[in-house]
Amino acid sequence: MKRLLVLLLVAAFILSFAACGETKQPGPDTPAPPSTGTPNSSGSSDDKPAETAGGLPVLSPDNPVTISLWMTTASSAPAADNKLTKLLKDKLGVTLTYEIVAPDNADQKTGVMLAGGEYPDLVGATDLNARFILGGALIPMDEYLTEDKANLLFEHVRPYWNRLSFDAGDGEKKIYILPNYNRFYNEITGGTHYGASGFWIQKHVLEDAGYPNLDNWNLDKYFGLIENYVKKYPTIDGQPTIGFEVLAVSGREWGMTNPPEYLAGHPNDGGVIVKNNVAEIFANKDIAKTYYQYLNAMNAKGLVDRESFTQTLDQYLAKLASGRVLGMYDQRWGFGNAQDALVAEGKDHRTFVSTMPVYEGATPYYADRDVMNINQGFGVSVSCQQPDVAVAFLNTMMSQEWQKILHWGIEGEDYLVDDNGRFYRTPEMRETQKDLVWRASNRLEALLDVLPKYQGTYDDGNAYNADNQPEEFFATLSDYDKNFLNAYGKKTWRDFLNQPPENPVYYPCWNITLPDGSEAQMANKQLTDISLKYLPRAILAQPSEFEGIWAEYVSEIEKVNYKEIERVINEGIQDRIANWGGGK
Amino acid sequence: MEPKIEDVSIRIRHRKTDVENIVFTTFNTLIMITLCVVMLYPMLNTLAISFNDGLDTVRGGVYLWPRIFTLQNYRVVLKMDTIYDAFVISVLKMIITVVTNLFFTSMLAYTISRKEYVLRKPITTIFVLTMYFNAGLIPNYLLIKSLGMINTFAAYWVPNIISAFNLIVLRTYIKTIPESFVESARIDGAKEFRIFFQIILPLCVPTMATIALFVAVGSWNSWFDTLIYNSGKQYLSTLQYELQKLLASAMNAGNRTPAATGADAAAAAGGKNTTTPQGIRAAITIVTAVPILVVYPFLQRYFVTGLAIGGVKE
Amino acid sequence: MSKTLAPTTGKKGFWSTVFAQRELVIMSVPILLYKILFSYVPIVGWTMAFQNYKPAIRSIWKQKWVGFDNFVKLFTGLNGERFIRDIVNTLGQSVLTLATGYIFAITLALLLNEIRSTKFKRIVQNISYMPHFLSWIIVTGMVSVMLSVPTSGGIINDILMRFNLIKEPIMFLAEPKYFWGIVAGSHLWKELGWNTIIYLAAMTAIDPTLYEAAVMDGANRYQKMLYITLPGIKATIVVLMIMSIGMILEAGFEIQYFLGNGLVVDRSETIDIFVLTFGLQMGNYSLATVAGIFKTVVSIFLISTANFISGKLGEEKLI
Repeated sequence: MKRLLVLLLVAAFILSFAACGETKQPGPDTPAPPSTGTPNSSGSSDDKPAETAGGLPVLSPDNPVTISLWMTTASSAPAADNKLTKLLKDKLGVTLTYEIVAPDNADQKTGVMLAGGEYPDLVGATDLNARFILGGALIPMDEYLTEDKANLLFEHVRPYWNRLSFDAGDGEKKIYILPNYNRFYNEITGGTHYGASGFWIQKHVLEDAGYPNLDNWNLDKYFGLIENYVKKYPTIDGQPTIGFEVLAVSGREWGMTNPPEYLAGHPNDGGVIVKNNVAEIFANKDIAKTYYQYLNAMNAKGLVDRESFTQTLDQYLAKLASGRVLGMYDQRWGFGNAQDALVAEGKDHRTFVSTMPVYEGATPYYADRDVMNINQGFGVSVSCQQPDVAVAFLNTMMSQEWQKILHWGIEGEDYLVDDNGRFYRTPEMRETQKDLVWRASNRLEALLDVLPKYQGTYDDGNAYNADNQPEEFFATLSDYDKNFLNAYGKKTWRDFLNQPPENPVYYPCWNITLPDGSEAQMANKQLTDISLKYLPRAILAQPSEFEGIWAEYVSEIEKVNYKEIERVINEGIQDRIANWGGGK
Repeated sequence: MEPKIEDVSIRIRHRKTDVENIVFTTFNTLIMITLCVVMLYPMLNTLAISFNDGLDTVRGGVYLWPRIFTLQNYRVVLKMDTIYDAFVISVLKMIITVVTNLFFTSMLAYTISRKEYVLRKPITTIFVLTMYFNAGLIPNYLLIKSLGMINTFAAYWVPNIISAFNLIVLRTYIKTIPESFVESARIDGAKEFRIFFQIILPLCVPTMATIALFVAVGSWNSWFDTLIYNSGKQYLSTLQYELQKLLASAMNAGNRTPAATGADAAAAAGGKNTTTPQGIRAAITIVTAVPILVVYPFLQRYFVTGLAIGGVKE
Repeated sequence: MSKTLAPTTGKKGFWSTVFAQRELVIMSVPILLYKILFSYVPIVGWTMAFQNYKPAIRSIWKQKWVGFDNFVKLFTGLNGERFIRDIVNTLGQSVLTLATGYIFAITLALLLNEIRSTKFKRIVQNISYMPHFLSWIIVTGMVSVMLSVPTSGGIINDILMRFNLIKEPIMFLAEPKYFWGIVAGSHLWKELGWNTIIYLAAMTAIDPTLYEAAVMDGANRYQKMLYITLPGIKATIVVLMIMSIGMILEAGFEIQYFLGNGLVVDRSETIDIFVLTFGLQMGNYSLATVAGIFKTVVSIFLISTANFISGKLGEEKLI
């Protein structure tokens, strides 16, 4: 019996070797065997697409190609009857196959894909830690990014050549991924609505206080208004009024940890503030202590919702949507549904507007200039058999003609053009655009999410998409909001925030990579977790106990190797200052 | 002994038992009704939310009945053209997994229930241990890949034809079947195959039904295998995986930055097209639970009514 | 029983027994080999516990070897303190969950078995297992609302206050001492009905004549439950218990992720959450593997012990 066991184990061992032998896939230097979904020319492979003089193939219905896409995005794949899918096929002969992985699942899928070494033609990655690049999954695109090959893509990356180039370990800096957001063209019209941070306050609180001046704003003024309002209206619609919500729900704890940097007049650099090009963490500094001690005092006055730290996201949104919350720190995208629910119920006066309190002597820097992301967007995989076709496709999509189709839709169906050449939508069109079912059949959202975009304005002066067309904003403003804006003498919501100065070249520090498995990455996680553990306690404690909890919190932080985080980030800052300046 | 006295004592005992019975039955019924209320609530609440207007749901406080009735959540889910193929794949995957599991589990369970079988212990040990370790995501993936099963239907069922847990449950059950059945068959000259198929298998129906249910539900609810092994081929996608992706995009729509389109104002115009993550999630839950809820009663009679083993004994 | 089928030891005896039992061998060994391929062969991957594993370097053998570095990382320093705390939480939560799960599921199965009306029995069963099909995010969402203050829909505080048992609402999810109980309670709500299925199936094997005989002997309902039904499913109970003792380090992560927060983290964080944050989310497969190996070693030690004790007590053994 024992012998049989031994026999089985030996068998297992042999089998295991066999299995491992097969797992040795060709590395990045030897191209992997062709994947299934590579471009083919409808049946006959020698029927190559015609080439332009410069070298990129011309896409046309005469030479149908199939391009396989892999991407991490929260958007849905198009429906089978999608009208733009049909358009791509009719005009360019391009058929796309989609493999979409939801962001939550991306880490795991990425791991096995890299271990397997086979990829679809185009990889649309959010590769903040350069896992795909370092894993040898993508080819350098430099040879295609020239004036006479992929001219539009070249223009897209040209001014930012240096910052987009990445050393994948062979000592040469190359471009692997085309950035998909915040590369701007012409005038930036956007920002009638602003998605950034702020201490939001219910519009009725301001209205009730006679539209106080919001300049030189500070925490005393902000909470003073809230306190007065709670005294005047202890209940709203029969429910107790809630002074302030601390956003601390799972996954969005930055609502609790980020405010000190804004109060101190710094933009969002993640867990650090930067002075004179030197970064340091602020979680244990006075700028943090002042804020949490302030919240502690507000809690003692009963202005802070004690359930802030235990509720789920649904509960948080439900409270905002009930109209009885007067203020919170959040980013605008985070509570969109709650705001919509209030409007749908006709409670426009219960919606929120952002304000920018700061400590004495500081200048508000809540709004920053949109930052182009690096390591996020499409790259061409090493498994792609005809990279020139894939690049030609991306280049074609970058044209203004296709950008309008992707962003605005088809003229006459999805938007109209007035006598001045301005694009607009009718109320029915706007309503239709919100329907997920309709969008699946009429828009290519997943593709568009990852494609490089012509943000800003087109040459004809229209904004790149409807969301940024000023006329669209004014056309959809409610009467209450018009009055509110008038009372403050402002035109858009963005006017409530500071005018963002030019970003420092290294900005923002939060996207400086803390490498996978590094000491800095681990220390950063430990630091965050200590904050999440101690800050709620500090805020909810009796005021007399605050100092003791704070001291314990600071001593816990001392145990973390945060100097390593600062070292890596400062190295990143210096590297960016030295290398990020130039274009091509 | 005088029969009369015994009669009296029986009668007394009966009366006592009657009272006891009534008290017990009343209590038991009350407990069961309470239980039903408590257990039914989450499903009814989910059902109500699935039929409730998305933005209204955000406000909270929807309990047993939708406040603003809508079919939009279901429209979003059921209009997705990929889910119908995915449904077929899910059903096929479930049926094949259940059939293979029942066959292999029962056959192996029978062999390791034989006390005299010389490999009983090593086999049991080897299977039991598999419950307590996992080689990890990447090694498992590499195995499936080296077997050429990536992006094939085989990746769904071949790695899962038997589970140690079900094996042990069934073995334990078979062991409670009186040995005399097997022995008498053996004396009649029956071979192991025949004993297994003709005598043991029919007696195992209740536990087999349970295992079928466990396997079916496990297979139906799984989406991770699709993600890891088969997400590259749309025609191999499963219902759960498609719905997972839909939920992600519904969450995304909820987190959008409302720019100048004035999402606010459009909503005020009575936007019936707006959906929210909670509503979609509820509709998805109902859509995936319903097939199982429908199938369940058919399996149920096997383990609620039961098979009288005593009856077969002769 | 025929002579040739009796188990024997000794070299010649072993193989001749195998030959004599060839039908059983044919029925079992192929499945065994299958299981070895699919479950044991990938264990070669455990070598990554001793490496700084990067999936992009595809061969397992070309990885960078780091010896016991990953073990040191996991068990010492700040991580070590935290990992040990997480082991305690995992144990606490799963013991409480398993214990309540068992007691209630067995009790419910016994009570269901006593229902005379088949129709009513089926209805109750049909309803009681329904919460099993809801995802944790839905169930925890409801739990969170129920445990909140009355103005947020917190029915439990509402009831307690109505009966004057408390003056101020209790912040259940802010108090570390309640967290394990909340985990066990949530599991009970979701899985109770589902867990009874296996016992009800086991009960069907009980010979009805035993009940008839017991009635003849004047046994009442409780005596029947205690002396016939319960012993009838004892083997199942014991085997399931031994198996779940091995699962004791599997307290999951979803419920803790959705209901946990900074205030209760000392009671809420489990091994699985630790592995998720420091392993998978950081692309650190090696560390996740170390934690996996640790869990396996503990589990196998525990089930062996439980199996041994059970055998000594004359109860059903797992192996």
